[in-house]
Amino acid sequence: MPKEAPKANHGGFGGGRAGLSGSKPNNFWKTTLRLFSYMRRYYVGLAVVLVFAIASQIFQIRTPKILGEATTEIFKGVMTGTAQQKAGLTVDRYPIDFDKIKHIILIVILLYVLSAVLSFIQQFIMTRISQRTVYYLRKDLKQKMRQLPISYYDTHENGDIMSRAINDMDNIANTLQQNITQLITSTVTLIGTIWMMLTISWKLTLLALLIVPLSLVVVGVVAPRSQKYFAAQQKSLGLLNNKVEETYAGHIETKSFNHEHKDISEFKAENDRLYTASWKAQMVSGIIMPLMMFVNNLGYILIAIVGGTAVTNGTITLGNIQAFLQYTQQFSQPISQLANLANTIQATIASAERIFEVLDEPDMPKTKVDIPDVTDDQRKIAMSHVQFGYDGQDLLMEDYNLDVNPGEMVAIVGPTGAGKTTIINLLERFYDIKGGSIKLDGVDTRNLQREELRQQFAMVLQDTWLFTGSIYDNLKYGREDATHDEIIAAAKAAHVDEFVRQLPDGYDTILNEEASNISQGQRQLITIARAFVADPEILILDEATSSVDTRTELQIQHAMSKLLKGRTSFVVAHRLSTIQDADNIIVMNHGSIVETGTHQQLLDKKGFYADLYNSQFTGSLAI
Amino acid sequence: MWQLVKHRLPIAGVTGAVLFMIVQVIANLSLPKLTADIVNKGITNGDVDLIKQIGIQMIGVSLISIVAALGNVFLASRISQGLGRDLRNDVFSKVINYSNDEFDEVGTSSLITRTTNDVLQIQNVMMMILRMMIMAPITLIGASFLAYQRDHQLTKIFIYVIPILIVVIAVLMGSAVPLFKKMQKLTDRLNLVFREGLTGVRVIRAFRRDTFEQDRFDQANTNYTNNALRVFSILAVMFPMMTLIMSGTNVGITWMGANLIADQATQTGNMIAFMTYAMQILMSFLMLSMVFVFVPRAQAAAVRINEVLALKTKIVDPKKPEALATETTSLKLDHVNYRYRQAENLALTDINVSVKGGETLAIIGGTGSGKTTLVNLIPRFYDVETGEVSINGVNIKAINKETLRDQVALVPQKALLFKGTLRENMKYGNETATDDAIWHALDIAQASDFIKETGKGLDTTVEQGGNNFSGGQKQRLAIARALVKEASIYVFDDSFSALDFKTDANLRQQLKDDPFMKDKVTVIVGQRVSTVASADAILVLDNGKMAGYGTHEALKQNSPVYQDIVASQIREGGAANA
Repeated sequence: MPKEAPKANHGGFGGGRAGLSGSKPNNFWKTTLRLFSYMRRYYVGLAVVLVFAIASQIFQIRTPKILGEATTEIFKGVMTGTAQQKAGLTVDRYPIDFDKIKHIILIVILLYVLSAVLSFIQQFIMTRISQRTVYYLRKDLKQKMRQLPISYYDTHENGDIMSRAINDMDNIANTLQQNITQLITSTVTLIGTIWMMLTISWKLTLLALLIVPLSLVVVGVVAPRSQKYFAAQQKSLGLLNNKVEETYAGHIETKSFNHEHKDISEFKAENDRLYTASWKAQMVSGIIMPLMMFVNNLGYILIAIVGGTAVTNGTITLGNIQAFLQYTQQFSQPISQLANLANTIQATIASAERIFEVLDEPDMPKTKVDIPDVTDDQRKIAMSHVQFGYDGQDLLMEDYNLDVNPGEMVAIVGPTGAGKTTIINLLERFYDIKGGSIKLDGVDTRNLQREELRQQFAMVLQDTWLFTGSIYDNLKYGREDATHDEIIAAAKAAHVDEFVRQLPDGYDTILNEEASNISQGQRQLITIARAFVADPEILILDEATSSVDTRTELQIQHAMSKLLKGRTSFVVAHRLSTIQDADNIIVMNHGSIVETGTHQQLLDKKGFYADLYNSQFTGSLAI
Repeated sequence: MWQLVKHRLPIAGVTGAVLFMIVQVIANLSLPKLTADIVNKGITNGDVDLIKQIGIQMIGVSLISIVAALGNVFLASRISQGLGRDLRNDVFSKVINYSNDEFDEVGTSSLITRTTNDVLQIQNVMMMILRMMIMAPITLIGASFLAYQRDHQLTKIFIYVIPILIVVIAVLMGSAVPLFKKMQKLTDRLNLVFREGLTGVRVIRAFRRDTFEQDRFDQANTNYTNNALRVFSILAVMFPMMTLIMSGTNVGITWMGANLIADQATQTGNMIAFMTYAMQILMSFLMLSMVFVFVPRAQAAAVRINEVLALKTKIVDPKKPEALATETTSLKLDHVNYRYRQAENLALTDINVSVKGGETLAIIGGTGSGKTTLVNLIPRFYDVETGEVSINGVNIKAINKETLRDQVALVPQKALLFKGTLRENMKYGNETATDDAIWHALDIAQASDFIKETGKGLDTTVEQGGNNFSGGQKQRLAIARALVKEASIYVFDDSFSALDFKTDANLRQQLKDDPFMKDKVTVIVGQRVSTVASADAILVLDNGKMAGYGTHEALKQNSPVYQDIVASQIREGGAANA
């Protein structure tokens, strides 16, 4: 759902990036250098961009002066003509030197065209450099995401990672695309303009420079205020959007608790705050331009007066003063642009820093342990003296032992939130144990490649994650080299085939992100079929508790029990039938394993499990 | 768009903004004339006093210009942002009174976009209209007039320049705009694939599909980058082209001007002034061309907002509402038929149930059998097609929705909590509830243990949607919230599904034993037989029809559908026969 305020188009039709202000990098130069090292493939291109941008800008700056010479030439002709008229001569046509003007115009056209071509080439190259650089940066980030341990995912919010991958990446792309060239051209324009003005008259130049402090004052006074209001606007907008999202998503709650009036008044209050902040933000940012123009006009008038006097005195030509006036108008633009750029670039480097922070996270450790393989170990899985706890937390297992023979089923039970996923984390090596050993077929799992290890397993979780793609591709996800027949057979075994055939696009139906085109139960069936396709030796299964209809639930149970047949399995169990049939039951509470044994052993123990088991019959009639 | 904004714009304000703009434009346009005067009259004649005099005039004009600009910006900001605020208020107030039917029809996420982004679009375009879009035509007219007045022969230059400009703009925009639209889609795709990589990390690794994911992302990344390259290459042509056209115009004016001056048909100062007007004319053209980019976008947004505002709410209060007696509680559905908007078949057919205070009604049946639909009729989220729902003996259509909903506490299937503290959430339906009452409700809902574990008690923070709690915890908190609200009918729509056996059983037991619930009606929708078995009456639904109504014992004898359900769960239940 769209949450952010509308951003300026990607370099499209202008518009500032108001939301960028406020973030400052910790180590500006280090990060900048690192970002530039990302462009090392393009250093030649960057050099071309630099040279062309400077050249193009220089031509652009020089032309008014040269075109001004044409005016001077015209004026000279007029003066001569008027003088001749005054002397009583009849002048049909003022004696303007058209050859010279033609010459000047040709040069000017040449310079304009050259400048345009250079500017185009420069932009063209820069586009390629910036987009490709960000392409590689994105690719690296994605690459990094596959090397990070699961603990990184578990300890960082998705929203935060997404914001780095999307917003921060966007900032960098935009800045590389537009602002680097802007930085070059603005600097060149500023220096060039001053230089050109100096060649005309240093006195007038000094005069023109007088307006610089004035424009700086305008920028210095107005810009921070505008940032302040924009920040307030952004904040209000965020709160308001949250309010809308929350209220609409909870409209059932709103209605059933008669909360409409309160919601409306809260919304109006926030909306009013947004209005106040946003009109002020618009106002303040809107007056910068007129103010700068006013300052500019003041300079212009000053120069016209002083310059006019100079022309009259003959110390300066008319063409020159005309050109000088044009320079005066161009002159404040790069100043305010550079001031803006300083903010944008800082924010961009801060963005780059956030991305590099992820890239610098430690990878999954390559752990080899000195535990010898046990050849012809009959056990499928052997956990011995396992010690485990999440980083920075107490140990959850201190000395845990469990043997699982081929074909056995282990049930994991416990109240809601007892940490049943910990076992899955350890088996799949999403987390590594702190001590002891988990052996698969006699080999410590840490001495196996993670890929090798995981090849033995398939998972069916309650969180029915499927990717946005066709149903067929989602099934094939289980095993890359699965044949078409194997996939269809798996779909049939998991009762997927039946409903897929009723969909208009069959197996080519694209599952969307929310998968609203199929039901939750059907999603579950697809994940089971996916595990069928994987055809693993060991199965990890999380039984569904979420509400699916009875028929689908029966199908799920049926498919799951078929899948379990002949495989070693770990089942997070909610169903009595599953639990009772298990060869071993791991009972968990508050993150740790409290008991292990068969159903009967645990009942006899009269411990936590017995209590848990018996409690379900209180208060209900016998069926 | 016009239809949407016309009643919401202050006429005086808009007129003011236009007038200020006219003044600003006139002031801006008279500056080149004064510059020309300085050259023509002052410098040519060597009259320094005149130069100074004109200079003072110029300062005066600049001041007028800036004051007018400030006036315009002030009004434009307030009008455009005010329009946004009013639209947002109207849309929000409208949507919040929608019944479920309208929410189903438009879709929640679409409604969110319409209230937030679509309104922002309109507001931004309005700002642009009041600033740039009215400036462009005024400048265009003024500058053309002045340019023509200065020298009508030089205006011939526009015969060549304007068509070129129009063609260039049309070609470039025509090729860039579709690419920009495509860019949005490709960005979404890029985000989607990356996000799926985060949400599915365990599955991806378990199935060893990291490489597949990397390729998938690379594909999206490549598509995006290629499109961006095309878009920005077009822009790379655009800006130098525009500069070239403008510079070319200046060169043309100089050449034509030189000839005219030689023929004594015009003066040097006129030519210089003409150049300035020419630039303003071309800039106005560019600005106007932006209309074709922004207005259609705002137009689309306006259409979507209009749809929301035009949609009529189906469920309204009666003109003369009756009073509702609350001494005794009862709930009755009498020959109720219900059909979803535009649906062919009835979703509920001839439902008849009746319960009194102190009794529990349970509803069981498969997904799609109409359980949730039925309980949604009780607080009038939907209206019956025929038949009647009554509470305490009064038809619910005869009383105000607010009165009705005060008496009904519903725990929806998908529990949703709001951002804030736990206390705020618990008081959602009853602002005067004491902490003791809240703790009592949390106790019954089996939620006090994990709340105490947070160490912050009722001040525990709740994230948006309650996402810092697990599914089962959210359900229990939603139950507690409903209990805090002192209603007379409590409806639990499959609210125990995410709870384990033990918690489910404890919760129902305590609910039953609580003295407060003694004279209340409880409605429980469930999937598990064990959840519904102890109810005073069980309604078995199958395809929206009653497939049994009675006690557990009776249904076991006479309802085949119920027998099926029991049988399927006994297989799993096993020892539950004991």
